[in-house]
Amino acid sequence: MPASTAAAREQDTKSEDGSATGFTLADFGDSIDASTFEQILEMDDDEEEREFSRSIVYDFFTQADGTFKNMDNELANGNLGRLSELGHFLKGSSATLGLAKVQASCEKIQHYGAQKDETGNSKVDDKDLCLKNCRTEIARAKTDFKEAERLLKRFYHDDGTGAGASA
Amino acid sequence: MDGNAANNSSDFVRKLYKMLESPQDESVVRWGNEGDSFVVLENEKFTKHILPKHFKHSNFASFVRQLNKYDFHKVRHNNEEGGQSPYGAGAWEFKHPDFKMNNKDALDNIRRKAPAPRKPNAMAEELIPTQQMDLVNTQLVATQQQLQQLQERYNELSMHHSMLLQELIGVQKTVVNHEHVMQYVMNFLTTVDAQRRRESKVGGGVNPFGNGSDPSRPGAQVQFDESADIPASPLQHATKLLNEVNADHMLNTRNLEQMNEQQMRQNASLTTPPPDIHAARNGIRSTSRGALPHSATSSSSMSYSELDNLVYPIGQTQGIDPMYSEHVHNIPYPMPSKATEGTVAPPEGRKKSTTIDPGWVRQPQILLVEDDQTCRRIGGRFLYAFHCAIDSALDGLEAVNKLNGGAKYDLILMDIIMPNLDGVSATHLIRQFDNTPIIAMTSNIRSDDISMYFQHGMNDVLPKPFTKEGLLNMLEKHLSHLKKQPPGLDTNSMAPPGKRSLKADESPTTSPAALSNWNSPSGIAGISPASNPTEDHFMHAVHNNANYQQGMQPGPNYNAGGAMGAPSRLQQSQPNQHRRNISDISGGPGEMSDPKRQMYGQQVHLQRPPP
Repeated sequence: MPASTAAAREQDTKSEDGSATGFTLADFGDSIDASTFEQILEMDDDEEEREFSRSIVYDFFTQADGTFKNMDNELANGNLGRLSELGHFLKGSSATLGLAKVQASCEKIQHYGAQKDETGNSKVDDKDLCLKNCRTEIARAKTDFKEAERLLKRFYHDDGTGAGASA
Repeated sequence: MDGNAANNSSDFVRKLYKMLESPQDESVVRWGNEGDSFVVLENEKFTKHILPKHFKHSNFASFVRQLNKYDFHKVRHNNEEGGQSPYGAGAWEFKHPDFKMNNKDALDNIRRKAPAPRKPNAMAEELIPTQQMDLVNTQLVATQQQLQQLQERYNELSMHHSMLLQELIGVQKTVVNHEHVMQYVMNFLTTVDAQRRRESKVGGGVNPFGNGSDPSRPGAQVQFDESADIPASPLQHATKLLNEVNADHMLNTRNLEQMNEQQMRQNASLTTPPPDIHAARNGIRSTSRGALPHSATSSSSMSYSELDNLVYPIGQTQGIDPMYSEHVHNIPYPMPSKATEGTVAPPEGRKKSTTIDPGWVRQPQILLVEDDQTCRRIGGRFLYAFHCAIDSALDGLEAVNKLNGGAKYDLILMDIIMPNLDGVSATHLIRQFDNTPIIAMTSNIRSDDISMYFQHGMNDVLPKPFTKEGLLNMLEKHLSHLKKQPPGLDTNSMAPPGKRSLKADESPTTSPAALSNWNSPSGIAGISPASNPTEDHFMHAVHNNANYQQGMQPGPNYNAGGAMGAPSRLQQSQPNQHRRNISDISGGPGEMSDPKRQMYGQQVHLQRPPP
């Protein structure tokens, strides 16, 4: 076949930042650690659709919502041990995605639940105080999570401005 | 990880294939006549209607760009043959050797191309003139000679060192003998003393030197016997003191022997410890050990001048270990840097690429034990990108069951806090019957946590949230035996490019400023980097003797032999004290080094976990 393999590379340059549509990693500010998140983005096969990272992030949303519900239940039951476990659990996944603020709050929940102070270094005997600390921290974690969720949804063009993204 | 098999072909390629399977769009896009290409017949319709349906965008340019990324090429029809595409003037025909009608399996071979920065380098590689290649070759040979010289010198010094140690042990034994002599003298003096006192008691004014006279002789005998019963002579106190001193000497001898043994083993592992750290850590060793690397440096620097322009970085590296991959790569070749990078991909190229092939001999089997699906999926994806085969377990119990059921892995990545059975307990159980390297993946990296991980048989720590680089470094560290050996060079010298730049991330602490892994045993940071490469290289040196070529003085042979020989000899004499003594000597490093040493011991003792 008389094919010249000169690729259609000239097409490349035209739509170089088509995927981001103006919203970049820099806009995440300090609620999401860009470098951590970026290495997940690098795993995407397709920079337009970002199927892999998108599914991870959206699964995380579900996971976080569920965990917060569980936290509320355990808070009502006064079960500090479970709260610590849940804090640890959410800490892991939020850290992996680079959600620094959520991660920090969850770490505190983990410590408070283990009847320690916020750094996890010294013991706190007053259970009521620990529960109260957990309650405040869970509220903060939720706020931080909502903020991160909002930013991530914008990144994935899922903020109500039309689903399809790139025009 | 869900759907590894399905993931082998990329989403984009699968969608492309699917798009061509729908017959109602045939007028717009379809397979080429030969079935080995596909044709977009109507560009506008395709962009408006078909692209959004399959790719969620309507941008033909970016579609083409995507195709390019997967190494599809546009087919152009030359003017000689009429200049017309058989599909019409406006048609775009794209082709990829593995993209064929009715051959879905070949889709797996279509992968995203390596990132663009590699291209120019690859070109540069082809353009290297032959004389430059010659230059490189001569430099390689010269470097190998240099390595060989260093190796020989090192061996020689090691030999001298062990000779000195033996000499020292001999001297100590002489001292002990002197002690014995002194004891004899003491005993004799005691009898003389007792006799004199006895005589002054019994014989009153009798001349104490009246031994010569016949009647006093039997009395002397009696006194000798009695003196054994009488305790409180000042001379006997002195004897006691002497005895105690003696015992101390004995202990020191043992320490030295242990040191000797350790030294042998160190040689075998081919990781020379930097002298200053050891000097700071324990006084005893600093005198004997510290001397070796120092002199190695100074003597080898003499040979630098002989090898015209090939130079090791003088001064920074003390105790050069010629076999250690890092140094082989750090040799600053006095040649155009571009050419070097042409043969070896630049480090930054590695960071960006989606899939990194670390060059495995075979695909490593990794077990990922993690209860959190986010971490599991991302970890799994990273591992997949590093060309590893992944199995996963949701908790420690599942992991133990898998291994118990006979599953074999090259490496286990283990979360610590998990439901049902935590990572530490799981490791403990696994260690009863299996020695696969286990790496703790955790955000709990306080020093007492870490020492607990090591105590239960874990081999390393990967702090969470892990990075791609951190993970890759772990793989390369613990799976070095699965890496391809480059032809023509010795054993494990060809570490992947970029290893140097990534080194900083390797230490499992949060401080990336930790030193490179062979001289960082300070605090937590050092534990795994310091101990594990040692083990790896030790095993390596032994296993790879056969590969070790180029007529170099076979350092590993000599050293490994020494390591196998010396410890066994010493262990025969004091089998039970082995481990305790090592930690006794080390004193300085304190508690934190214990797990490390224990592990080290385990490795050497064919990995029996401590009861």
